[in-house]
Amino acid sequence: MHAITDFMANDHRACDAMLVAVEHTVAKRNWELARSEFAHYRDGMLHHFAAEESVLFPLFEETTGMYQGPTQVMRGEHAQMRLLLTAAASALAEQDVDDYAGNAETLLIMMQQHNVKEENVLYPMCDQHLADHVKVLLPTLQTQIAGQVEVPT
Amino acid sequence: MQALLSFEQAPPIAAPFRFFLTAPLFAILAGTLLLWSGPELLASRWTPSALALTHLITVGFMLQVMLGAMIQILPVVAGANMARPLLVSSLVHAAIVPGALLLTAGLLTSQPLVLRLAVLLLGIGIALFLGAAGHALVGVRSTNPTIQGLKLALIGLAVTAGLGMLLAVARDGSSGLPVLQLTAIHLGWGLVGWGGILLAAVALVVVPMFQITPPFPAWFAHGFSWSVLAVLSSWSIVVGAGWQRPSAVLAAAVVLTVAVFAALTLQVQRRSKRARFDASQYYWRLAMLCLLAACALWFAADSLPALAQRQEWPLLCGVLALLGGFMSVMVGMLYKIVPFLVWLHLQNLGDGRVAAPSMNKVIAARQIDRQLYAHVASLVLLLAAVIWPEWFTYPAGIALVLANVWLLYNLLTAVAFYRYQRLKMVAPTSAIPPPQGTC
Repeated sequence: MHAITDFMANDHRACDAMLVAVEHTVAKRNWELARSEFAHYRDGMLHHFAAEESVLFPLFEETTGMYQGPTQVMRGEHAQMRLLLTAAASALAEQDVDDYAGNAETLLIMMQQHNVKEENVLYPMCDQHLADHVKVLLPTLQTQIAGQVEVPT
Repeated sequence: MQALLSFEQAPPIAAPFRFFLTAPLFAILAGTLLLWSGPELLASRWTPSALALTHLITVGFMLQVMLGAMIQILPVVAGANMARPLLVSSLVHAAIVPGALLLTAGLLTSQPLVLRLAVLLLGIGIALFLGAAGHALVGVRSTNPTIQGLKLALIGLAVTAGLGMLLAVARDGSSGLPVLQLTAIHLGWGLVGWGGILLAAVALVVVPMFQITPPFPAWFAHGFSWSVLAVLSSWSIVVGAGWQRPSAVLAAAVVLTVAVFAALTLQVQRRSKRARFDASQYYWRLAMLCLLAACALWFAADSLPALAQRQEWPLLCGVLALLGGFMSVMVGMLYKIVPFLVWLHLQNLGDGRVAAPSMNKVIAARQIDRQLYAHVASLVLLLAAVIWPEWFTYPAGIALVLANVWLLYNLLTAVAFYRYQRLKMVAPTSAIPPPQGTC
């Protein structure tokens, strides 16, 4: 009964790994590679947000009737992370190590406390309320996360 | 449903910060006490000044940080938000700060009235916190080991505080209570049942997520807090009953659980994928190495009678566990929590229109690194002072004061940064002079 939690948490870990890959290229001052790794990471994050905002959250809201609850808070945090992604991208474009490190560290903590809330509270609630939808829901989320659906940036 | 409603907002920044900013003041007082008492303080763990010093660190520094951090993390990791967190924080803080000061004074002077007042204030403060945290956690299912650990740690706090209050009242010696046994149980529950379980519950989340490591093994995550509580309870009963041999075996089991936690954390941390370590990660590593060293020393004293007879080993264990273990990890975490909260509250204030400066700008990394060196120096000097009190007590006292004045300065820098940036956001067009000493 943890299908949604496990699936979405796995994608969180995949995004973590992509952020770390950028960190290593920045540490080596390999700016070209850093920019391409960062683009990879940002795509991963935006696809994850899109999967939640256009598939998982609306289904949760429709099923439970909770439109102003945790999903709304999560949307707000997504917006904050989008701003941080933009700031980190500008720092990379300017090859400013300190500014990138500052934005990336903030993004990491923001992202992780957001993940803790989702994995400990929201996803278990999804597992509880959306058990009947899992068979259709997981492939749809997979398609979105894999980037097969266009994501607005 | 409570979890759901409470999911929505972080507590106001003033709620946890009042605890974080007060903590270093108690450590500064601990260093001052060391300077005032001189080498006699370290003659044994039972001298009035050694007891006062211990409680300045535990009830002063550690309790402040632990309560402040719990108020902050309960909504994040458990979806459990306290009702009126600012009011609860203000009342708890207003009770435990004078409570800790009176406890120190009472332990130093053995004045029953002062100790009773300390018991009253600490009792009110801790009971209020337990009530508020317990109420927030009612109805929150233990869906993961961290939530379970947080709940069990509250039991640990209740037992520690209850026994501590009993011991403080019984200090005049007229009660006929078995003070030595009760002190051992109080210490075991404080260090392991409250401190250890809370630290492990937090580590399960914080280490893998912020240091990008693999998760802790499932057997540990699911088994640790319950095992500790079970072993600690059995040991307490056996100690209370006065059964020597089983109590020695169970005490070894308690120490072993702490050693397993520290060793596993080091092993997990070694597999961090981060490009390089920052001060916070070094603090974590130092803390776990100190906890392991404290456990190793305990086992050495347990098996070597020549060592067990010496006054130094419990003091060394205490310094390693409290200053080296708990204080290190707490300071390391403050350097993540405080800048992040400053950023988060500024970001919320900017409401997407004005971007907050990133968290690395809140406290300069150079200042954090230097404070880490000062902390390590205070730890090494205090360990040396236990062995050679005449030589090292005063340098250790000075180092402890210095390391914590520095910590306080760094935290105040964060507050000044927050106030300055908030002002800038509220009145973006007015010319505001830059603050003094913010970087």
